Amino acid sequence: MEIELQAVRDFLAAHPPFDHLDPELLDELPARVSIRYLRRETPVPPIDADGCYTYVIRKGAVEIHNDEQLAEKLGEGDCVDCSLRNSQANPRARTAEDTLLYLIPCAEVERLRELCKPFAAYFTDDSGKRLRKALTRITDTPMQSSDLDSVEIARIGNLNPITVKVGVTAREAARVMREARVSALLVLGEGDREGKLVGIVTDKDLRNRLVAEGLSADTPIETIMTAAPHTSAPSTTGLAALEWMTRKQIQHLPICADGNLLGMISSSDLMRYQTTHSHFLTIEAARADSVEDLRSISARLPQLQVQMALGGATAGHVGRAVSSVTDALTTRLIELAERELGPAPVPFVWVAGGSQARKEQTSHSDQDNALIIDDAMTEADAAYFEKLAHFVSDGLNACGFIYCPGDAMATNPKWRQPLKVWLRYFRNWIEKPEPMALMLSSIFFDLRMVHGERSLLKRLREEVNELTKANHIFLAYMASNALKHRPPLGFFRTFVLISDGEHDKTFDIKHRGIVPIIDLARVYALAAGVCEVNTLGRLEAAAKHKAVSKEGAANLRDALEFIATLRIRHQAQQIRNGEAPDNYLPPDSLSPLERRHLKEAFSLIAMMQETLEQRYQTGRLG
Amino acid sequence: MGFFDRFRTLEQRRLALLAATPEGPLRDFYATPFPAPDTDFRRAAYTALDFETTGLDPKRDELLSYGMIDMAGLRIDLGSACHQVLRPRGDIPEASATIHEIRHQDTEDGIDEIEALARLLARLAGRVMIVHYQKIELGFLDAACRRHFGVGFLIPTIDTLQLGHRWIEGRNLYLRPSDLRLFNLAARFGLPIHAAHNALSDATLTLQVFLGLTAQRLGEKHVPLKSVTWN
Repeated sequence: MEIELQAVRDFLAAHPPFDHLDPELLDELPARVSIRYLRRETPVPPIDADGCYTYVIRKGAVEIHNDEQLAEKLGEGDCVDCSLRNSQANPRARTAEDTLLYLIPCAEVERLRELCKPFAAYFTDDSGKRLRKALTRITDTPMQSSDLDSVEIARIGNLNPITVKVGVTAREAARVMREARVSALLVLGEGDREGKLVGIVTDKDLRNRLVAEGLSADTPIETIMTAAPHTSAPSTTGLAALEWMTRKQIQHLPICADGNLLGMISSSDLMRYQTTHSHFLTIEAARADSVEDLRSISARLPQLQVQMALGGATAGHVGRAVSSVTDALTTRLIELAERELGPAPVPFVWVAGGSQARKEQTSHSDQDNALIIDDAMTEADAAYFEKLAHFVSDGLNACGFIYCPGDAMATNPKWRQPLKVWLRYFRNWIEKPEPMALMLSSIFFDLRMVHGERSLLKRLREEVNELTKANHIFLAYMASNALKHRPPLGFFRTFVLISDGEHDKTFDIKHRGIVPIIDLARVYALAAGVCEVNTLGRLEAAAKHKAVSKEGAANLRDALEFIATLRIRHQAQQIRNGEAPDNYLPPDSLSPLERRHLKEAFSLIAMMQETLEQRYQTGRLG
Repeated sequence: MGFFDRFRTLEQRRLALLAATPEGPLRDFYATPFPAPDTDFRRAAYTALDFETTGLDPKRDELLSYGMIDMAGLRIDLGSACHQVLRPRGDIPEASATIHEIRHQDTEDGIDEIEALARLLARLAGRVMIVHYQKIELGFLDAACRRHFGVGFLIPTIDTLQLGHRWIEGRNLYLRPSDLRLFNLAARFGLPIHAAHNALSDATLTLQVFLGLTAQRLGEKHVPLKSVTWN
């Protein structure tokens, strides 16, 4: 191919949707391309266009206006597709700089759409479908495998296995096992077999070969051990080890290299690895004996997030996993507090607010919590709950869930009250929706029980639902609050395009992408009287109650999953680099495709915000 | 150009040359009318041309390769892009090879000058030629035509070097000679420049530079071709 055409081919190949084309189709494309150079402020397509083209920006910029408002700013590699423009709501495109454009005849685009499905999908799919596909692509291409089929057993096995020497008695061996709390013991040889593995003894051997056979506890260990056991090389994969153990019906596999013992892997090591897993951390948390234990469990949360994110989990999965571990840590802290302070004098419920409540936590967010106490609480009982609150809150802080900067915690006497006071709070907020109350709404309208008396929260919720459901004015205030965080228009070069002429250098993915959806879902849920607090759950339930259209809910779900998954992957990368995770994505770290999908997600959010604005006439609230 | 040619239009001169040219590619070329000088430049058909040669003297030096690409309606048609290497009769001097990077072995499958001339003339018939620095392309075409057909070469020509000169002076900007180099003009209009330098990419860049140089005139109602041509 001629060098000039090659350059055009390479440029197109680097930008969607042309990046979907097979090499052969890409090779043919440049010869059908033509080039135009348009001055600043020229309409695209220009008035003198001699045919229908899709315009790909090679250099320069194009702005798209909808009703005189800037809707999009396109830069190098973006395309202005004129073939599919809906003539009724024709947005105006115009060059914002002197612009060099590659023109692809509409007939050629049409032909490529017939020849290449993914290319066609770029033009025809609705944005929701594209986002779902994008999400699948992300989750299907893990950044690092955390699967058993790729991890080496040396990485997950125990490299300091408990051993005894031949010649010890069964009793002695059993005692060693008891002390070390293990169910298998490796037996090492003597003499010329010094230090070499000669056998393995398990709980099962003590039962089947000793007790059941009526042998004495003084029987030498080599009588009941399995001599010359199967071993595995350190580079064996977890999956291979698991298959081997399953086939041989064994639970323990010594790891040896060149006849030297390196360690041992057990089936529970493998299971534990496979489920790193939040279940495992949850179980460990429930067994923990001190704040110090809990702290060390909690310290593994960032790793959990990294493993899940890099392994291809969506933000939804990670949020549920992290929240469940935080729940378990909180519950255990309450139990430890009760062990120290004695049982609670009256029933209470410990509730989480914010992201933990919504099960959308990323590792080590701030803590938001509150105590709802039975109305039978006396003056004297208050001191107990104060101590309980401090014990738990301090414990959470020690575990990395730092104190809430807004003091929305059970340690704040205001948020440690009997049910009747809570009811009064909510009545007040709902009847007089002041800015302060609205600020708290993201915490206190998202409450979830972590531990205690379920009925207390249930009664509060039912009452609040009755108050909010029919209350148009309150909902209008919540709606206007939900519109505070607006998504950007998109990206332009290395900037985030906010609105007419406004640019930002960093992209706050949380406040500009995730919070707007959470806020929308909260309004829908309150309007529908839905108790669910998880955003995806709220969207689904609200759609069922017709508080939001099915399509709108589905689109927001796709947008949230896509944006939030980008966020956890960004954070996973930071944690892996030893940096503190944050919510700021540099726009130039995003691929053209990610930018495009984000832009679509933003426009879905903006559309839903507009609908909400109209429904509640929030503009009138001033 | 003869002394009296100054007072004749290109079209009159074309007819005179047609009468003097023997049968062959050059005669076919002259048999096609030139674009009218009053045609609006937005509607004209152009071909940009760039040569790589063994030196700067059209009489002595040889054409090594050409790149050629069309534009119509101010739309550059990449499908028309072509690049052709010629087989020189003599050596490729080192001084030129370091510029165009064409080695002797690269020319083994090249075509002869007469074949190249036939192809170029067939493509250029009825069109406006765009070059950067007309002395090279016009000079080499003229010399080749005289060698093979005994008659000189004439075509309505746009020289982006000349237009660039006018453009910079028209803005009262300080002009350094290097400002008029193709790449420097391209940079002025923010045009992407490929590192690789060959006749076709230079021809394509020449067209883009032309578009940049004339962009300011797109607002005018009528821009006659003769206001942008060199001859």
